[in-house]
Amino acid sequence: MSKEVMKDLKKKLGKKIIDMVQPRSNRIYIRVEPEKAPGVVEYLFSKYKCKLCTATGIDMREGIEMIYHLAREDKNILINVKTLIPYSKLEMDSIGKKIPAFRWIEREINEMLGVEFKGHPDMRRLLLADSFPKGKYPLRKDFKHSDVTDEDYDYERSGI
Amino acid sequence: MDILKKSFKKSIWVFHLSTAACNNCDIEVLELLTPKYDVERFGIKLVGSPRHADALLVCGSVNAHAKPRLLEVYRQTSKPCLVVAFGSCGCSSGIFRDSYSIVGPLDKVLKEVDPDAKIVYIPGCPPKPEAMIEGIVMGLGAI
Repeated sequence: MSKEVMKDLKKKLGKKIIDMVQPRSNRIYIRVEPEKAPGVVEYLFSKYKCKLCTATGIDMREGIEMIYHLAREDKNILINVKTLIPYSKLEMDSIGKKIPAFRWIEREINEMLGVEFKGHPDMRRLLLADSFPKGKYPLRKDFKHSDVTDEDYDYERSGI
Repeated sequence: MDILKKSFKKSIWVFHLSTAACNNCDIEVLELLTPKYDVERFGIKLVGSPRHADALLVCGSVNAHAKPRLLEVYRQTSKPCLVVAFGSCGCSSGIFRDSYSIVGPLDKVLKEVDPDAKIVYIPGCPPKPEAMIEGIVMGLGAI
């Protein structure tokens, strides 16, 4: 089953992706450039009938690696679209602009890791307090607890 | 001191405030109201407004989002007000101490605005109901 999917995806996405591997029978990793990632994910979501499980961001030191986890349920297969966004240019086009399911997870990754999603319709804070200092990203590897102290908070913005 | 004695002699009304608690302490507070422990026989009663409260029962490590809200509630209580730091998190911020969003513990936050705040500590995760009753009684004795 997954071999068919691999062949199918290679035919459809061949030019857009860097490589595609299959570590297990029900798993496919697709690596793409950050500029191509929204197109690939949108294709898998809308045309290829995948469902969005979640998206994750990891600090890999040289950049933030975004992974979109998509499941194709009728073929029992999990597709992970990976893209490494370098620290020199921490931005990519928003997928939530077209598909609302991606909006909240993009908001969370924006505030926790500092990736900017261009064209996102509603980029307010999701989990962090409104008073949390701007420009600090708590889930990055180089973040320390002592980076944010009580004085850094702007309690004027907390709505009380 | 006479006013203090008089104001804490009769029923103690408690306002329960949760500042980023995990909910476990909040559930244990409800245990106090069940027939087995029934703190209302001592006149200890939960009230819906801090303006009616003699004591403030605070659960949870204080995070940045809850801090201005905690201070606002504390400002609205009639003084003197007994503050109960409830559970490990209330006493010391617990395992969340070195988390990015925590500005607590409770006593540090309160002493900044009111150095004379009367704070009782009830450790435990969550504290046993007997410990809660004893803590509040001890706090009243201290005042």
